[in-house]
Amino acid sequence: MSGVYEGLTVVELADRRNQWAGKLLSDGGARVIQIEPVNGSPGRWCGPFVKDKADPDSCLDYWWNNTGKQSVALDIERKPAQDLLRKLLARADIFLESTAPGTLAKLGLDYGAVAGNRALIYASLTDFGQDGPWRDLQMNDAAHLALGGQMSSTGYSDATVTPIGGQGHQAWHMGCAFVLHGITVALFDRMTSGEGQYIDVSIHDACAIGTEGAVPQWMYYGETMYRQTGMHAAPRRLPPLELPTADGMYVMAVNQAFNKRSWDALLNWMDEKGVTGELRDPKYQEESVRTAEYRQGTLIRDAIRRLIAASNGEECFHRAQASGISWAVIRAAEENYDIPHYKQRDYWRNVEHPQLGRAIPYPRGPFACDELQLEPRGRAPNLGEHTQQVLAHDLDLTAQEIAALTAVGAIK
Amino acid sequence: MNQQKNPATDNAAHLRKGVLSGIRVLDFTWKTVGPWAPRLLTHYGAEVIHVERVNGWDDHRYNAQRSIVTDTPDANQVQGGKKLYAAPYFNTLHHGKLAVSLNTRSPEGLKLVERLITKCDAVVENFSAAVFPNWGLTWERIHELNPTIIYMSSSGFGHTGEWKGYRSFGPTAAAQSGLSLASGLPGQPPAGWGYSYLDVMGGWMGALALIQGLLKVKKTGKGMYIDYSVTEGAMSMVGTYMLDFQVNGRRTRRPDFPPGNRAIFPSLAPHNTYRCAGNDRVGQYWWVFIACETQAQFEALCALMGQPGLALDPKFATNEARVKHQDELDAIIGRWTRARRRYNIMQKCQAAGIVAAVVQSAEDRVEYDPQLHHREIFPIINHPELGDFPYEGYPVKMSRTPAFVHGRAPTLAEHNQYVYGELLGMDAAEIAGLRERGVI
Repeated sequence: MSGVYEGLTVVELADRRNQWAGKLLSDGGARVIQIEPVNGSPGRWCGPFVKDKADPDSCLDYWWNNTGKQSVALDIERKPAQDLLRKLLARADIFLESTAPGTLAKLGLDYGAVAGNRALIYASLTDFGQDGPWRDLQMNDAAHLALGGQMSSTGYSDATVTPIGGQGHQAWHMGCAFVLHGITVALFDRMTSGEGQYIDVSIHDACAIGTEGAVPQWMYYGETMYRQTGMHAAPRRLPPLELPTADGMYVMAVNQAFNKRSWDALLNWMDEKGVTGELRDPKYQEESVRTAEYRQGTLIRDAIRRLIAASNGEECFHRAQASGISWAVIRAAEENYDIPHYKQRDYWRNVEHPQLGRAIPYPRGPFACDELQLEPRGRAPNLGEHTQQVLAHDLDLTAQEIAALTAVGAIK
Repeated sequence: MNQQKNPATDNAAHLRKGVLSGIRVLDFTWKTVGPWAPRLLTHYGAEVIHVERVNGWDDHRYNAQRSIVTDTPDANQVQGGKKLYAAPYFNTLHHGKLAVSLNTRSPEGLKLVERLITKCDAVVENFSAAVFPNWGLTWERIHELNPTIIYMSSSGFGHTGEWKGYRSFGPTAAAQSGLSLASGLPGQPPAGWGYSYLDVMGGWMGALALIQGLLKVKKTGKGMYIDYSVTEGAMSMVGTYMLDFQVNGRRTRRPDFPPGNRAIFPSLAPHNTYRCAGNDRVGQYWWVFIACETQAQFEALCALMGQPGLALDPKFATNEARVKHQDELDAIIGRWTRARRRYNIMQKCQAAGIVAAVVQSAEDRVEYDPQLHHREIFPIINHPELGDFPYEGYPVKMSRTPAFVHGRAPTLAEHNQYVYGELLGMDAAEIAGLRERGVI
């Protein structure tokens, strides 16, 4: 068994936008050589840090997004370092970069300059792509969620409250998903053609098609969506589905249908909590009647709200699901560690951290599949941890040459 | 250099040229997360056969006819006097696919499914875990029928483990994974992801799994089962918070998290949304996002606001001080933006090198965004029946093997003749017989 990207060499120019894509290439078995500035990738300086002490080798966001990679610290502003990078690219399969358009052309490292390696797949993941009137604007992840439309659909039902962009660099993740599509398709093509190619992905483009119903609703009906607390934006105001529980949690009470089995279970549960109200009226035994009541009325919705308010979060989740109702409890990310289901699915991977003197369980990766085998291949590298090794073994530099480059500050 | 024209074509998928031309996907997905994954393969020329039940249809076709939360269906939804054949979201999620009808409750229908499996490179479903096995389609059986096929089940919690029978939609997976709790104002209920993030990104990641599978099969010639749990995918998008808990014991369930639109890793100020003049068509205020990541940006913002002295005030002179006093700073910036026009603020800030972005609605993006227009992200495609109509495009520009958009979702059972006639080689009498017996 080996990973889907086994045997490939990726050169990644360190950046916060592309690092999750590089991580998934590494998780799939590729050798990912990350080229960092001598003072470290910007991804090493954002935090959170181990014990909140700022240090480029202790940034947990960097740890997560760079599992299994190798770190080579090179100042690519300098000519000798540019030559080294060009040599690495001459034998690489994939180049993953996120510099502002035009930057690498000035350094003699644009696609045209390195396409002598005809098999090279050169992938640029940038804020706006390589062309267009907004190409050079200044952006970050939250700015993308604003401009791309995510914020406009997210927030609270109170129209006076700010729209919200969620945390965790999800705009960058969306861009990474598409750059990985492109790279993987290009690899598929290369197996037949032997040729690499240039891939241009814009985070703004990716976000812009990622707002679910908002765009079609506008295109077809000219309708604008309302933000609604904790739920889908919609062209109409809808009653709340994010409901508080007895133990201070919230339940997402998404209801698709009340068939006989789930209706009976719901009524029994409501009886237990004494919140059934009039719902034992025989007319609600008819599915169409209860469906119409749910759609237009308040009786069922109010009873569900009282039921959830009288129950604990875990109780809501399991009892609803056992009756075929797809409710969820809103958990914190860290609370998933205690759940047997994910352990049964072998979801956690222990990654050794000598700095801590112990291993930490990391999420496995998005898919369970032995043939793809996406999983962390080891901890993130320390800054410049592999500079010597890569220069000496991959590029055949002598110890004197390496020492000279170090002395002038071109490498670390 | 990577501009591509999106050719207007009909849905004759087998005639298209693309990297994945010749790849055929049998698509049993419905709702939202599932259909996205095979849809994205159509942009590379894959032939995706969407299977709908006989005497019924995909819920999204008529704005979720069988849903209990929407209005009565309108089978003749009309745009400019022309039939669309499909509701907005169906036409978005399924454009470029083929459609067949099939009765999977009849043994004869299941035989057809088995025959189709032998003709396909991948089969995808997002039913609950028991459905395919109930049809006799365990992975062992699928693999026996076609040793090189990829079978992907896309589900909320995966097909093993004690929750394998649990049901899920995008918002369910967002809630369970920890993503919902990572969005909102401190001290308020979670804001979640109103687009819904995992209905979209969940499908995009599913597409990645399928493409990865195709790459691996091309190498090894060996089929595979991909057990895709959308919730597990989502947990790998909040990994930093998991490590923060493991290493520092810091939980995301804490009073100052999530921090609204402010930044905490690293802490930066200003970094927030600010109300501008005006409001949208339904009365929601207009907002602009502004962030200063460097001292130079903050000084430029102070100059732009006509308050250069702010940068010298000890309360705002350094980022650390600004973070400490950001309520006050946000109020000052909010007073400046309040009477100003949102695009004007964005343009002036950007001209001064400051991170600034209008909170754009769908209308803003589709009608006015000059960048998306330049990149042809909402291509207008001509169709003989629909006329010119815009679609959501596909945002990967490739120099040698361009992706493309085909336009229009298939009408109900539109490709029965192609699939049962040409692919399975049945003659007219056989197909008529299947129709009479209610199999298709």
